[in-house]
Amino acid sequence: MAPNGLKHLSNALATPDQLSNSSSSIDNVPSDLETSIRCAGAQLTQAAGILLHLSQDIIAQAIVMFTRFWLGADGGSLRIYSVKDVSAAALYLTAKLSFQPTSPRSVLNVYTFLLSQDASPLWFVRQRRAPETPPSPETYILSEGGYQSARLILLRTETVILRTFGFDTHVALPHTIALTYLQTLGVTKPAVAQRVIQHLNAALLSPQLLYVTHQPNALAVAAIYLASREEEVKLVDGEWWEVFDVDREELGFLVVGMKSTEGFMRAEVSRWKNKAIPMVVDEVDAEIERRRMMEEGE
Amino acid sequence: MSSRWANDDPETEAIIAQQKREKELKKRAKAEKQRLEDANKAQARDAKASAELGPPTKRRRLSNDPDARPDDAEVVRIEKEQQKQSTLLRFPVGEWGPCRHVDNFERLNHIEEGSYGWVSRARDISTGEIVALKKLKLDNSPDGFPVTGLREIQTLLEARHQNVVYLREVVMGNKMDDVFLVMDFHEHDLKALLDEMREPFLPSEIKTVLLQVVGGLEFLHSQWIMHRDLKTSNLLMNNRGELKIADFGMARYFGDPPPKLTQLVVTLWYRAPELLLGADKYGTEIDMWSIGCIFGELLTKEPLLQGKNEVDQVSKIFALTGPPNSETWPGFRSLPNAKSLRLPSTSAPSSAGNPPLLPRSRFPYLTNAGLSLMSGLLALNPASRPTARQCLDHKYFKEDPRPKPREMFPTFPSKAGMEKRRRHHTPEAPKRGQEAPELDFAGVFGGAPGGDTGEVGAGFSLRLG
Repeated sequence: MAPNGLKHLSNALATPDQLSNSSSSIDNVPSDLETSIRCAGAQLTQAAGILLHLSQDIIAQAIVMFTRFWLGADGGSLRIYSVKDVSAAALYLTAKLSFQPTSPRSVLNVYTFLLSQDASPLWFVRQRRAPETPPSPETYILSEGGYQSARLILLRTETVILRTFGFDTHVALPHTIALTYLQTLGVTKPAVAQRVIQHLNAALLSPQLLYVTHQPNALAVAAIYLASREEEVKLVDGEWWEVFDVDREELGFLVVGMKSTEGFMRAEVSRWKNKAIPMVVDEVDAEIERRRMMEEGE
Repeated sequence: MSSRWANDDPETEAIIAQQKREKELKKRAKAEKQRLEDANKAQARDAKASAELGPPTKRRRLSNDPDARPDDAEVVRIEKEQQKQSTLLRFPVGEWGPCRHVDNFERLNHIEEGSYGWVSRARDISTGEIVALKKLKLDNSPDGFPVTGLREIQTLLEARHQNVVYLREVVMGNKMDDVFLVMDFHEHDLKALLDEMREPFLPSEIKTVLLQVVGGLEFLHSQWIMHRDLKTSNLLMNNRGELKIADFGMARYFGDPPPKLTQLVVTLWYRAPELLLGADKYGTEIDMWSIGCIFGELLTKEPLLQGKNEVDQVSKIFALTGPPNSETWPGFRSLPNAKSLRLPSTSAPSSAGNPPLLPRSRFPYLTNAGLSLMSGLLALNPASRPTARQCLDHKYFKEDPRPKPREMFPTFPSKAGMEKRRRHHTPEAPKRGQEAPELDFAGVFGGAPGGDTGEVGAGFSLRLG
C-alpha cells in the first residue's frame, strides 16, 4: 500500500470496462461521433475558462471531470445530457471548490456567447462566415428569462455530475509535477518548460483520454521527453524516466499519444468543416438520424 | 593533562606517553587494515555484481555534468533499483462510480441534529455493519450544491487518519437533493461524555484525549486542511478509547500565502481572538486556539469561555488572558474590529515570558508544564501559539502522569447507541453566507463595572454596538 500522501499526486483512473462501454455507445451514438463531441466539449470548456478568467489548473480539472463523466455504462449519455450543460456545470463546480469561485450568471453568459452561431469564436460552433457587420447583441446575450431556466439546468447538472462520481471531485494535475521534474533534471531553458505545459494542455483534448488512463507523473514525464527533443535540449543519459517511476512502455505510449493530438485535431477541423459539431441532445439525435438516412440512401 | 592521580615522576609519565603513542599507532593500523579489507570486499562484490549483470551499462552514469549529479543517496537508490530490475513506485489507483442508494441502509435511530444535517444510526443491509448516516442539509441554495458540503466530502475523502472520522461513501436518496454521508459509527461525542460524567477526566485521560485530537489535527494541517470548527461536540469517541475528529462542514484547504477567508467560522466559544477582531487572513493557529479551549473544558467539564455574543466573548477572553498590548500581540491594532477597541490606559505590565502565563488561579490542578501549554494555546497573538507538531512534543505529555493507554480508557454507556443524544447547549458554528458583523468593541473596557448581567463580561462592562 502506497503512503497516504501520494493521494495528492494521483488520480482515479478509468477501468477497462468503463473505457470499452460508454453510456452513449449503449444509446447508439457512433464512437467516432462520440469522440468528436467529447473533444469539442473539452475545447468549449477550455475557451469558457479563459473567458471567465479562471486559472488553467481549474480549467484542466474541469476538463478531466468532463471527460470522466461520459465514461462507463454508469456515466452520462450524449442522448440524455447536453455536452454544453455538462461542460458548464463541470467548470462551475470546479471553480466553486477552488480559490476562484465564479457565479452561475457569469458562467451562463460566457456559454451563451460561445454557443452563439453568429458570434462564437469557436470553429466548431460558428457555421456562418464572419459577416461584414458585427453580429447583433441579441444573438449572443442571455435574456433574463433564459438565465432563470439555464440556471436550473446548470445546478441540476452539477448534482448529476457529483452523483456520477460518488462525490469524489479529486483531480491531480501533472503541470506542477512536470516543473518539479524539470528542476530535478537541471533543465533551465524556459522554452522547454513552456513546451511541456503546451503538451500537457493539448493532451487534455486527446482522443486517447490520456488524463483518465494515466497518472500525472507519467503525463509529466512524457511531456518533458517530447519537449526536450523538440527544443533540442539534451537530458541526462540513461533511463531517467524510471527515476520518476515511469517505465519505457508507458512512456512510449504516452509520447505517441501526445504527438498524435495535433494530427487528430487537424482531421477534426477538416471533417467538420461544413457543419457544426452537435452541442445539445437534439443536435446529437439529428446527426444520428442524418447518418442513418445516408446509410439507407446508399 | 596530568590529573591529581597521575604519578608525578617524569619517567613514568614518559612511559605512559610512549604506551599511548603505541596504542594510537596500532589503532590506526587496524583501521587501515579494515579499510583495505572493506575495499577488497566491495571490489569483489562489484565484480560479482557486474558478472551477474554483464558489464556496467552506460545508464549507471546519470549526468555528463559533474555538478548536476544527484546526491549520493539518490545514486545509491538508483543503483539499488537497477539491480532489482527497476522496481518503480506504483501510485494508488482509485476508481469512480455512481453513488449507491440510501435504501442499502436500514435506519435504526436518530442520533442528533447538527448544524449541517441530521445524523442517524443505521445498518448496512449487505454487510450488517453499523454506521452513522448523516443527511446533508441542502436548503435550496441559489448557488447549487453547497460548497460547505462539497468541502466536507472532499476533505474527509482525503484525510485518512486514525484520529479523523472515516467517510465510507456518499449515498443518495430519491430526490435530487437527498445526500447522505456514510461514516463509521462512534458511541459518544466528547461533549455528551463530559456532560454525563460525575467527575472530570483524570490527568492521564486528558492527555490521551488531547494527544489524539492534536495528532489528528497535525495530520490535517500537514495536508493543508484547516478544520475551523473544533469543539467537544465535534470530537467522537468509541468504547475503545479512540477519538475521531468529525464534522468537516467548515473545513477547507488553505494555501501559502493564505487566501482571503471568511472570519465567520468556528463556534463562538471556541473562536480565536483574531477572528473576533475581524481578520480575513488567518491560518491554522485558529484551530490551535480551539484546542486550548477544549483543553480547558477537559479540565473542568465546563466550556472555558462561554460568551453570549461576539463582544462578550472578546471580553471573556481578555478577562482570562489580560488585554493585548503591542508587546504581546504586535499588529493587533490593524485588525478591522480593533479600531473601536478602547483598552485601559494602564496597560497590563508586561509580565515575564511571551506568551504570558495565564493566571494559575484559573487552573489550580494543572502542572506547570500543563499551564505553559495552555498559555501557549490561548496566546492572543496567533504567532505565539504552538503548531500541532510542537504541541505533540510538549513536555506536558512527557511528564507524569503519562497518557493513559487507550485500552485502559474507561468505557461509558452509549448515548448514541440507543436513544437520541441529549441536545447540546453549545452554540452552533456560523452559517455560511452571513454577513460578517461590524462589531463595536468600544465598550469592552471602561464604563461602569456592573454585576453579572448579559452585557457584562467578567470584570469589564460592555456597550453593545
